[in-house]
Amino acid sequence: MPWKLLWRNVVGHPVRSLLTVGAVAVAVFLVCVLNAVTSGLTRTLDAAAANRLLVQSAVSLFVDLPLSYQQKMASVPGIEAICKWQWFGGRYEQDKGGFFAQFGIDPETFLPSYPEMKITKGSYDDFKKLRTACVVGDELADKYGWQVGQTVPISGTIFQRTDGRPWEFTVAAIYRSSSPAVDNQTLWFQFDYLRESLEQGGATGPLGVGVYMLRMAPGTDPVAVQQAVDAMFENGPQRVQTTTEAEFNRQFISMLGDVPTLLQMIGGAVLFAIFFAVLNTMLMAGRERTRDLGVMKALGFTDRATGMLLVAESLLLCGLGAAAGIGVGLLAEAPFAVATASFLPGFGFDEGTLLLGAAIAVGVGLVAGVLPGRRAARLTAIAALREVG
Amino acid sequence: MAEAIQLRSVTKAYQRAGESLRVLDELDLTMAGGTFYALMGPSGSGKTTLLNLVGGLDHADSGAVLVGDVDLTRLDGGELAAWRAGNVGFVFQGFNLLPVLTARENVELPLQLTPLSRRQRRAQAERALQLVGLGDRMDHKPRELSGGQEQRVAIARAIATDPQVILADEPTGDLDRTTADAVLQLLQRLNRELGKTILMVTHDPQAAGYADKIIHLDKGKLGRIETNPGRG
Repeated sequence: MPWKLLWRNVVGHPVRSLLTVGAVAVAVFLVCVLNAVTSGLTRTLDAAAANRLLVQSAVSLFVDLPLSYQQKMASVPGIEAICKWQWFGGRYEQDKGGFFAQFGIDPETFLPSYPEMKITKGSYDDFKKLRTACVVGDELADKYGWQVGQTVPISGTIFQRTDGRPWEFTVAAIYRSSSPAVDNQTLWFQFDYLRESLEQGGATGPLGVGVYMLRMAPGTDPVAVQQAVDAMFENGPQRVQTTTEAEFNRQFISMLGDVPTLLQMIGGAVLFAIFFAVLNTMLMAGRERTRDLGVMKALGFTDRATGMLLVAESLLLCGLGAAAGIGVGLLAEAPFAVATASFLPGFGFDEGTLLLGAAIAVGVGLVAGVLPGRRAARLTAIAALREVG
Repeated sequence: MAEAIQLRSVTKAYQRAGESLRVLDELDLTMAGGTFYALMGPSGSGKTTLLNLVGGLDHADSGAVLVGDVDLTRLDGGELAAWRAGNVGFVFQGFNLLPVLTARENVELPLQLTPLSRRQRRAQAERALQLVGLGDRMDHKPRELSGGQEQRVAIARAIATDPQVILADEPTGDLDRTTADAVLQLLQRLNRELGKTILMVTHDPQAAGYADKIIHLDKGKLGRIETNPGRG
């Protein structure tokens, strides 16, 4: 293989080569990102705890459950602890365009039920003691520069204070989760702070619970608990649906539609487009070099060698594109992960994703190179030399 | 001693518009090794076809084409490519240098098919370029050379692998008289000093004057063979 000629052919047309490499790089980057999203979703589902069940309204996740359900469910055998989760939906006063989740929870049962969360700064006991306290993820704290002891103003959208002022939460502790099941960009506060405000007229909004988390005792049959809880409220006032944490996450994701299939379709379309772009480049290269190919054959290069020259050029362009795409992807991984942490805590480029990106580039390079390569191999030296004059 | 070239009852026809056009017709011709031949004849007389057959670029429909002891008609495509790499050098009318490579790299290209090391290939390419008087133009690309210089690079490429036979198809067709003479003198030197067998297709009687013998073809058949005065 005349490697120098191969390289010179690539750099001899800098604009065309750069555009092709750039197109492949963008495609590989996109495919890697899309695959990382799909993998992230899968990782989030896989990381779900087996000993946690979630109870929501059978009608919709957006319909609250009565507060009274907690006490009734506590009587079901096998349930070790119950924790309320109520979506707050507020906006940080200093960054109203930004988004992060806030939930009202029961401090006593929350942290013991999520052993993957570790307090890294401050004190969880302080959180339990102070009604207006909150616990925040370390990525959220880093994003806004929050420190322990700082007061964070959040204006409500569902729950609004009657005095027109924002809610104020004091950061009592900062946590770090080691599992994608819990992200590091959420603010947790005491549900009772919200409940008391609503009951005492300090705030307006629905008084209920979005989801109950049930922590089961070791050895408990989750199906039996699910059936018992669902049966308990079969006749209302609100029918419930009890699911495993993995199933709950799956349903939550599916509210966006069939995300993995959608992403795969987008990825497929990107690949299709890029394949034709590379094929077009290689066909042009093959046509332009008809005379050169004829000369090479006259000099004694075999049909196979001249054909492989174009296949190798296609592979080189796509390989460079893959390297650039993966390189950009690795650089963008951390900012992407931070940006998507609140709804996709499992996002990240694993080895499989990077290999997929590289394999796709090699595949496109190979297939796009075969057509002009075959033409080059079949061309006779006489025909090639005659074609140009 | 350079190898002799023999064509024995060679026939070659092409299909044109559904009709078979016989370009070479039962041609018998023997060319002695180490001789400079000019091949002349009107357009369509079969000059280039004969050159392609002798160079192993094309197959005869019937007959035998022997270069030395090798019957080219018995070789398949891969064997012909390997034979060309070591036994024949081509010089084309349009120079046909690869534009992305320098003069040295163009000359090195056929040497990549030899077992020579990188250093040896480079040294041999430089020797060939110095032989054609382009020792100071080795790193120039074809677009940076004049037509005559380009053709001399093409000649250096043709002799780089030290083949015994050099086939030139209208090598001076794109050159002015002065440059053409310089190129022809170079071919003559290769024949006289290195003993190369040269077969040159030309329409130009002045160019043919540099050859030892002039072969005339007409309608695919051998015409007369002239010996240039003072040569042969």
